[in-house]
Amino acid sequence: MKNSRKMFILTEGILAILAVIAAFVMFQERNGQERPKVSVIIRDSDASRWSAFKYGLEMAAEDMDVEMFVVSTGEQMTLEEEEELIERELNDGVDAMIIQPVSGAQSKEILEQAGKKVPLMLVEQRASSGGKGLPVTEPDHFAMGKTLASELLKDYDGNLLGKTLGIVWSEENSEAARQRAEGFQSELEGEGARVLWTLCEESAKVPLEDQPEADVIVALDDKSFVRAGNASESHTLHGAVVYGIGNSTEAVYCLDFGSAECLIVPDEFSVGYESLRTVAESFRFFSGEMEGKKVSHTVMRRENIFTKENQEILFTMNQ
Amino acid sequence: MKGKFFGRGSRNHKGIQTTLMITFSVISVSIMLILGIVLYVRFSALSREEIVQSTQKLMEQTGESLEDYLISMRQISDAAYYNVIKESDFSSQSQGIQQGLNLLYEANRDTLRSIAVYNNYGSLMAAEPVAAQKEDPDITRQDWYVQAMEEMENLHFSTPHIQNLFDDDASRYYWVISLSRVVELTQEGNSQLGVLLVDMDYSSISRMMDQINTMNNGQYYYLCDSNGEIIYHRQQIQISDGIRKENSKAAAEYKDGVYDERFEGSRRKVIVNTISYTGWKLVGVIPYSAFTMGMVNIRYFIIMLLLLMCMMLAFINRLVSVRISRPILRLNDSVMEYEAGKKPRIYIGGSKEIRYLGYSIQTSYEQIENLMEEIVKEQNERRKSELDALQSQINPHFLYNALDSITWMIEGGRNDDASYMITQLARLFRISLSKGRTIIRIGDELQHARSYMNIQKIRCRDSFTVTYEVDPEVESCCVVKLVLQPILENAINYGVSGMDDSGRIKVMGSMREGKIYLTVEDNGMGIPEEEVGLLLTDGSRVHKHGSGVGLVNVNNRIQILFGKEYGLQIESEPDEGTKVTICIPAIPYTEENRELLEKGHRLSRDKLTGQAPLPQDRTEEQETKA
Repeated sequence: MKNSRKMFILTEGILAILAVIAAFVMFQERNGQERPKVSVIIRDSDASRWSAFKYGLEMAAEDMDVEMFVVSTGEQMTLEEEEELIERELNDGVDAMIIQPVSGAQSKEILEQAGKKVPLMLVEQRASSGGKGLPVTEPDHFAMGKTLASELLKDYDGNLLGKTLGIVWSEENSEAARQRAEGFQSELEGEGARVLWTLCEESAKVPLEDQPEADVIVALDDKSFVRAGNASESHTLHGAVVYGIGNSTEAVYCLDFGSAECLIVPDEFSVGYESLRTVAESFRFFSGEMEGKKVSHTVMRRENIFTKENQEILFTMNQ
Repeated sequence: MKGKFFGRGSRNHKGIQTTLMITFSVISVSIMLILGIVLYVRFSALSREEIVQSTQKLMEQTGESLEDYLISMRQISDAAYYNVIKESDFSSQSQGIQQGLNLLYEANRDTLRSIAVYNNYGSLMAAEPVAAQKEDPDITRQDWYVQAMEEMENLHFSTPHIQNLFDDDASRYYWVISLSRVVELTQEGNSQLGVLLVDMDYSSISRMMDQINTMNNGQYYYLCDSNGEIIYHRQQIQISDGIRKENSKAAAEYKDGVYDERFEGSRRKVIVNTISYTGWKLVGVIPYSAFTMGMVNIRYFIIMLLLLMCMMLAFINRLVSVRISRPILRLNDSVMEYEAGKKPRIYIGGSKEIRYLGYSIQTSYEQIENLMEEIVKEQNERRKSELDALQSQINPHFLYNALDSITWMIEGGRNDDASYMITQLARLFRISLSKGRTIIRIGDELQHARSYMNIQKIRCRDSFTVTYEVDPEVESCCVVKLVLQPILENAINYGVSGMDDSGRIKVMGSMREGKIYLTVEDNGMGIPEEEVGLLLTDGSRVHKHGSGVGLVNVNNRIQILFGKEYGLQIESEPDEGTKVTICIPAIPYTEENRELLEKGHRLSRDKLTGQAPLPQDRTEEQETKA
């Protein structure tokens, strides 16, 4: 009799616990799980060169069910400003961050500190040269530099003897520009071309237009490519031909209107998509570990701007 | 047998309450489960149907909107051609043509990117809005131009592409869908072919599609042309990059309707709706996971509901089972108590049937008790009559022998001996009678034995000697009367009767471990070993001498009164003698004990009303006797 009562109480207890669990799970489902928040810090966030990157982020956020927002930043961003932004985002309770590191050696330390608190993915370039450190999703800068040089060689039938080059980039201490320049120079080594001058626009006292006359201007980033394209269009480059790397519609326009000869376009959509996807997967699979990725690039010339593949690149740039 | 069927102690048999509870619970839970599953299946089927129907409706509406949009584009194209271009000469009425195109453009600028007219060489004849044409757009090689020229009678809708015609101050590239047709142009009175191009802003279509692509359960819609080329897909770039795939080629083959397909390892429903004029397919995709996603909450709700119902049913089942089983259990308890030796009242209560059962059991028990009492009474009576019968076998026989001896003495002139013998006989009979009692003191039994031996000695002319070695403590205990006399009779007749003056009989009495041992030992001829075993078992043996009552009689009487563990033990060696030992329990002789024994109760030690006499008590008793 006592056993029967015990069994009854036990059964009722187990059923009650199961009912409470079912109710709890039901309400949890109804409330919906909070989506992880990922903050993206990039320099000059409203610039058109980020359009494809941001579209990639949006698509990945939609596919991976992540809440993503891009922090609004100005054209210039110092190390202190970046540190301040990171602190602010951490205080706001973000679950992960995607950051374009500010060029400079000190940046690495700040980012590594932040990386200990939340998953952190770098984009576009490494924090500083040497060592692996934090994961980076970036175009293969060295390969892009090499491709640019090979396109140049192709145009001159492999004969650059006596040709003078001016190399220009916009950001001082840029790791990406350094790698691109390395790639470019490694390909041109022994080909006879001479680098007449190099110019970092951020720190240069003499503008591009006032540089000595060169046969070819090589722009290593989007900003400098558009500037060089515009200068070419306004005939202030002493007839120099512009080659470069860029990822904005302005850069493509320069190519389209003949003010530049060749444009290497990094797949910025993939940089944005893959960086956020990797971060989101680290949440989903609770791995915590992330691996960076190098994305591809495309060679664009005036005659192939409107091919099906390139139209899709333009589509992402137009978003 | 009882245990086998009712299994009171068996763990394999459950109580009636548990059985009822389990049965009710199993039945109710099974019904609930079946009901729950049926409800869930039915509900999910309805929900699935509902989702498909609502998707179809939404797609119909969107299809209509797209058709309206395309019709309006066609109307613009028609208006531009029939109202503006066809009636005018480009050389003389270019202003009017421009104004006409401008009017059309301004009226539809939200959805239009541009209207342009090209001649058969690909040269721009007119365009709205007015913008600088690119340096060398190579019109004649552009798809829309080629298509229009290939099939002149038709209007052609292109897939989305970047407009590569005009310079844009904002350095932007626009996605457009081109509607192109061959038109007849008039220039300087000469008619020539040209192409009218109406570029629709892709954003109008993508906005329409974005509006329906808001589900976050995996359901989505896309638009493709009749060849499966994607016009709109929310993951268009991912598809181009190979990050994901879409089964648009297969969808383009489908006619309007709902299809089940398996793509990339997952099942999904595909709803296809064809857009008029273009042959475009509006495709709705509902992965099967989308059906279950909405059902998860309902699933948990049904589980919770089932659990709560189970709890309630368990409670009700228990109440019902307790109500049904309680009277049966109480009846069972009272029966078990009864069987355990208590005398409770049999429970009478509950329903009519159980009350009747209680009455019936109670009546049965009462009848059983009455019958038992009667049986005990009858048994006692029977035992007493058996004893009486046994004792009555002794008396006539012995009396005959004794009187024969007395007669013989009187005839021989031995009057003193005869007188002595009569005195002994009188004592013997006094004890034999013992006021009709069956149980007497051992002392009296010994006195009886002495009297008997005295008589026998006279009869046998002192041809043997008798010695008595009896512990005094033994004499105050109970014994069945007349047990020694048959043994002594046997000792004389079979032991020492043939021995000339050398016969010895020794009567001994002692108490050990709560038992009394009365021994008669003779030094006679003894009994062969094979006969010793038969002495106590074979009552039908023919006796050569004596009364014929024998040792069987004595043994039976002792065992009837004291139990089977007591009785006679016989040890004999031929030519050395025989030793017969009576073993009985040491029960102090009191009136109460005597009565109990005579009624047939077998007394255990703790039931004795008096203790076995202590040595000093015995001494006092002996002294008193003396």
